[in-house]
Amino acid sequence: MFIMLAIERKTNMNTEKGISDKMIDEIIEKHKGKPGALLSTLEEVQENNPFKFLPKETLVTVAKKLNIPYSQVYSVATFYSFFNLKPQGKHSIIVCRGTACHTKGSKELLDDIYRSFAIDDKDRESEQSFTTPDNLFTVRTVACFGQCAQSPVVEVDGKIHSNVNSRKLAKILEDVKKEDAKKSDLKDKPSN
Amino acid sequence: MKITVNHQPIEVDKGMTIWQACNSIGINIPSLCYFKDISANASCGVCVVEVKGVQELLRSCITEVTEGMEIITDSPRVREARKVNVELLLANHPEDCLQCDRNLNCELQQLAFNLGIHEKRFVRTRKEHVNKDETSLSLVRDPEKCILCGRCVAVCEQIQSVKAIDFSGRGLKTKISTFWDTGLGNSICINCGQCALICPTGAITERSAINEVWDELHDPEKVVVVQTAPAVRVGIGEAMGLPYGSLVTGKMVASLRKLGFSKVFDTNFAADLTIVEEANELIERIENKGTLPMITSCSPGWIKFIEHFFPSSLPHLSTCKSPQQMFGAIAKTYYAEQAGIDPRNIVVVSIMPCTAKKFEARRPEMSDAFRYWKEKLHLSENEHFYDVDYVLTTRELARMFKEVGIDFSNLPEEEFDSPLGVSTGAGVIFGATGGVMEAALRTAYEVITGSQLTNVDFVAVRGMKGIKEAEIDLNGTRLKVAVAHTLSNARTLLEQIENGTSPYTFIEVMTCPGGCLGGGGQPIPTDEEIRLKRAESIYLEDKNKPIRKSHENPEIQYLYRHFLQKPLSEKAHHLLHTHYVERGI
Repeated sequence: MFIMLAIERKTNMNTEKGISDKMIDEIIEKHKGKPGALLSTLEEVQENNPFKFLPKETLVTVAKKLNIPYSQVYSVATFYSFFNLKPQGKHSIIVCRGTACHTKGSKELLDDIYRSFAIDDKDRESEQSFTTPDNLFTVRTVACFGQCAQSPVVEVDGKIHSNVNSRKLAKILEDVKKEDAKKSDLKDKPSN
Repeated sequence: MKITVNHQPIEVDKGMTIWQACNSIGINIPSLCYFKDISANASCGVCVVEVKGVQELLRSCITEVTEGMEIITDSPRVREARKVNVELLLANHPEDCLQCDRNLNCELQQLAFNLGIHEKRFVRTRKEHVNKDETSLSLVRDPEKCILCGRCVAVCEQIQSVKAIDFSGRGLKTKISTFWDTGLGNSICINCGQCALICPTGAITERSAINEVWDELHDPEKVVVVQTAPAVRVGIGEAMGLPYGSLVTGKMVASLRKLGFSKVFDTNFAADLTIVEEANELIERIENKGTLPMITSCSPGWIKFIEHFFPSSLPHLSTCKSPQQMFGAIAKTYYAEQAGIDPRNIVVVSIMPCTAKKFEARRPEMSDAFRYWKEKLHLSENEHFYDVDYVLTTRELARMFKEVGIDFSNLPEEEFDSPLGVSTGAGVIFGATGGVMEAALRTAYEVITGSQLTNVDFVAVRGMKGIKEAEIDLNGTRLKVAVAHTLSNARTLLEQIENGTSPYTFIEVMTCPGGCLGGGGQPIPTDEEIRLKRAESIYLEDKNKPIRKSHENPEIQYLYRHFLQKPLSEKAHHLLHTHYVERGI
């Protein structure tokens, strides 16, 4: 079932843009002329992309419509870690690497995650975030969530889990997968 | 406004920065990111000074003076801070000065020496090594040597209005990149090389062809001829230790012979040829109601600019090739025939003040001599050759001179070879902004009016003003012309054309500030003051030439009589004219 899910997502990926030009136009129109138009446009365009990222074509469209040099749009899109230039996984895992979490073992948690997804050390070094080849998970780190009292913390799909250890983490990820499987079963039924 | 600098009271203008105020009394505060009139990014932290009553040190390049300000530029605290800032930059900078193109001509190296840095105290913080960008035919970027001062970004945006590059990423991953980091060669970069000229380190350099040229010079089968652009003779002396703007035509010719070139020819000859073709093209467009204003096409950075940003204005471009490319086509056809040399064995090397010329020489359409000979000699596609084989910048040529130990300043002067070395004053002024316009007017006037021009100096189109205008009376026909240098000025004139308000008949555009004499391949440093000195020498050479009108060049007249027939002939069209492509952005 995981495989089926992956295939379905791959097919979507072939559309590359993931968001229609019309929608980009509408978003641009909304922000045009206002201060910080570029930032708010990029933010909303990314939010509306099913893979939560900014493809090259999208940046070109935004640059053209807002009449901003391409290089400058790229500069902004690469400066903020909020913006993604690659398709993001269906689920996001954010490991806090702030001082408190670090002292409580967040490095080991991160290593566990990488190991469980068989992510190469080399890839980790060169990327700010990493997405599994099946596009299910994107792993990234932040400097601090401000939840130091409950360190180490890991955010999965927007939910913060506190006092995480390796066992707890494995369980969380297992639950995510189970949930996916359940949804996929439901989806499959009518077609049967 | 009264202030004191190192306890010395001085009077300065309101609005001046501390850097400028100090500079006005002869104190040159060191800086790596500041460049007069172009960039003040306050990114390098070297120009710091102490100001009484202010706790922290201030960056003099961006801080304006205030009434009564007491500035200290040389205290131990200031000197130590500058030193530490440079040491921090050096922590991430490769220690390969000996292998660097900018060795002995590097602001970072010089500053490290001046500040007395003798050891490497800080460890590298950048984790990854970033590869060189070698995608461009003209320029090479080495991000490892980049100190992120931002001068290149500023010159690309403000002077050229191209903005091919900007900062990307953040923190330790910050670097200068093109859109989507595809490399300069795959971007809207127009290859002007102003970034290479302004870079304080060796992070941006021309793509060198020195080794290839040495190989050709030592190949006994080959006849290697060289052409030198007008602006090289007023620049190369600087790189050989002479004062700024030294006019060294004769020494340059002698040195080129010493390198082993078979013939030392002059791009000025081809500039005269360009003028005859271009003046006639202009007259034809005026008489036949062709597309006007017509715009000059000698500057390859400008050509790529209009191809990217204003493709709908391409019909305004003169179809004339640049002098460099006319030279290549003529050398491998006319000269090959005259001298009885197999065109396959002729190697044309250009010495140019320009990095964009390297790109121009590799444009696929620039092999008209090959097409000329293809049927005659039954050449196969494998034997394809370009009209111009190699392009070296002024800087590269200086390196070659030094490599073989040429005693440049003591060398007796020599003359160019005939026939492609014979030129007029009109040819030499191509090297300065306004020069092509002036040269064209000298010829167009006489062709249109049929009468002798008494004063050949069109001073209205000379000088360093961004956009110059003039109105010329050609026997009742009044011709409005404009001259622009730098592409931000060219953009203004193009916008006029695109919205239908351009009042001009003929426009000259040069990519670089001051024209070719301020080109991206010229010696470093190049700044406003130096450009003015080079321009003086260009106009001096023009004044001293016995013939100052292109169409009076006897070798050009001979070339038309015996080879091209007449200006704009079919043969001339095949060899001397070209077409352009829409590139988009």
